[in-house]
Amino acid sequence: METEGDAYRRKVKTQYRELLSHCQENLDRMEGELPKPRVNLHEELTSQGISRRDFIKWTSVTTALLMLPPVFKPLVARAAEQFSRLPVVWLHFAECTGCSEALLRTSYPNVDSILLDTISLEYHETLMAAAGHQAEQNLEKALADFNGKFICVVEGALPRGLDGKYLTLGPKGKTGIALAREVTSKAAAVICIGSCASFGNVQAAKPNPTDAASIGWALKIQTVNIAGCPPNPANFVGTVLHYLLFGGLPALDSLGRPIWAYRMRIHDYCERRPHYDAAEYVEEWGDMAAAKGWCLYKMGCKGPYTYGNCGKVRFNDAVSWPIMAGHGCMGCTEPGFWDTMAPLEKPIDEKTLGGGEKTIDTLGVTLLGATLAGIGAHAGLMAVKHRDKLHIYETSHKE
Amino acid sequence: METITPKKEWSAAIRLNHWLRVICISFLIITGLYIAEPYTIEKGWTGEKMFMAEVRFWHIFFGMSIGLLFIWRFYLSFFSRFHADWQDFLAWTNWTNVKQELRFYFLLSKEPPEAKYLFDPLQSLSYLGFMVMLFGLILTGTIMMGAGYDQGLTALVYRIVKPVEIWIGGLATIRWIHHIMMWGVILFMAIHVNMAFLHDYLFKEGTVSSMISGTLFHRSHK
Repeated sequence: METEGDAYRRKVKTQYRELLSHCQENLDRMEGELPKPRVNLHEELTSQGISRRDFIKWTSVTTALLMLPPVFKPLVARAAEQFSRLPVVWLHFAECTGCSEALLRTSYPNVDSILLDTISLEYHETLMAAAGHQAEQNLEKALADFNGKFICVVEGALPRGLDGKYLTLGPKGKTGIALAREVTSKAAAVICIGSCASFGNVQAAKPNPTDAASIGWALKIQTVNIAGCPPNPANFVGTVLHYLLFGGLPALDSLGRPIWAYRMRIHDYCERRPHYDAAEYVEEWGDMAAAKGWCLYKMGCKGPYTYGNCGKVRFNDAVSWPIMAGHGCMGCTEPGFWDTMAPLEKPIDEKTLGGGEKTIDTLGVTLLGATLAGIGAHAGLMAVKHRDKLHIYETSHKE
Repeated sequence: METITPKKEWSAAIRLNHWLRVICISFLIITGLYIAEPYTIEKGWTGEKMFMAEVRFWHIFFGMSIGLLFIWRFYLSFFSRFHADWQDFLAWTNWTNVKQELRFYFLLSKEPPEAKYLFDPLQSLSYLGFMVMLFGLILTGTIMMGAGYDQGLTALVYRIVKPVEIWIGGLATIRWIHHIMMWGVILFMAIHVNMAFLHDYLFKEGTVSSMISGTLFHRSHK
């Protein structure tokens, strides 16, 4: 007899089989549609010292990261081979280029970074050799050639003040907003990389003199937000692979972040979480608790308020990540980062009020003291004012 | 001659609800202050302590309880068979009464405002504010609780309250608001207890004991 569990497993199997055939069809279609590969990935990997075995290991990891079962491994490998065929226009606005740096520079190349090196960048403001009118031509050509087929990757927030004139670029002096509107309207998908493009980040922090805002907010469009300052390259590569595999964008949370990467809080799988639950906290930098690797909650760790996969994927070839290195999470993947996460090295309730040293606790204690003194004085005055009435009550009982 | 007429003021449900909320709020403030500013427990092995986890468990336990008590109180204010008192929370809309009450509290008049409603005008305003704060605390608390759990009732509730988290702008702000509103509740409690004692002392009608016995003894001079 078939149990409930068997029926469930059969259903899941059928669903995955359907998904698998959908992916295969999509990859076949993509291979026909997309331009010829720029480089042969396997030759590129070999020349960088990455063996076939390493590549297969990488596909296992990435498949698991995308929350897919192992049968998808060959398809992930196939999608990775198509990586260099996907035309990408990479725009830079108000930002520090730290995201590009984080993605392109690694201590030694791994598959993620090589994939990003082979990416078919039609236009990238910091990396391209072309300048001036030539660069403008490249962009126009890319927009014409791949209309509706390219991926637009945006790095940096859009200043909206002075009709966007805080940010102009190119020989024609286009404002950031005009350029972004022109390019994103022709793109197959818009991927915001980094917290600036996703949520505004430091550009949009108070007092925000340039009136900067995220791409989605400034242009009122749906974007995929790979949040983080900088984000993990794996999250970007995974999202592009997802696009190649399924022909569509991954499921997003309500802030536009891919759920497969930003589903859980840093706090939920932090390696120091047992110390949080056991009430073992670092009280000051460099104390014995810090040496023992206890919880950084009292040092202002923002892990409990931050969604991200930093602790799972880690940075620099999975060597380390902020909490492992001994500093709390800053909350860089969250909207309003800087304003809502301040003070970065103190718990949230020690946020100061209107500058200075006062916190909500000092205000609360002061108000409570004033209230107690006030009601005490008031009660005394009321008693004096109503003394005759009190007297009447007392005598009336005697009668 | 003075006559004293006992009058039932509070139904048993309201009284029970009141004292259960007192217990819940007291424990919530104590456990909540610990969660906001925990102290380290140095001794013992990490795996056996779980102190913060237990404090959080009780905080969530009392938080869930006060959520249910709030729903019960909300229900009573509309559908109580004894006295549905939702209109009494709006006693502050009567402007003449507000003026009279201000005069009374500023020692300008000896006469308290006319007792048209269950609550005095300022009392009704502070109760309404307290109810709003309580709702805010339960809402923000539910958001923070649901963010950490994937299964069960909390996860179900979190799906409903998640849009509020997005609208307000993240868990960090939610936590800050939760902390600020706790101070609001502490201030409310200080004033509320003082006012109950003051009324008990001035009018000698048994204000404090009325929340236990349910009966207020009205005095009238004839």
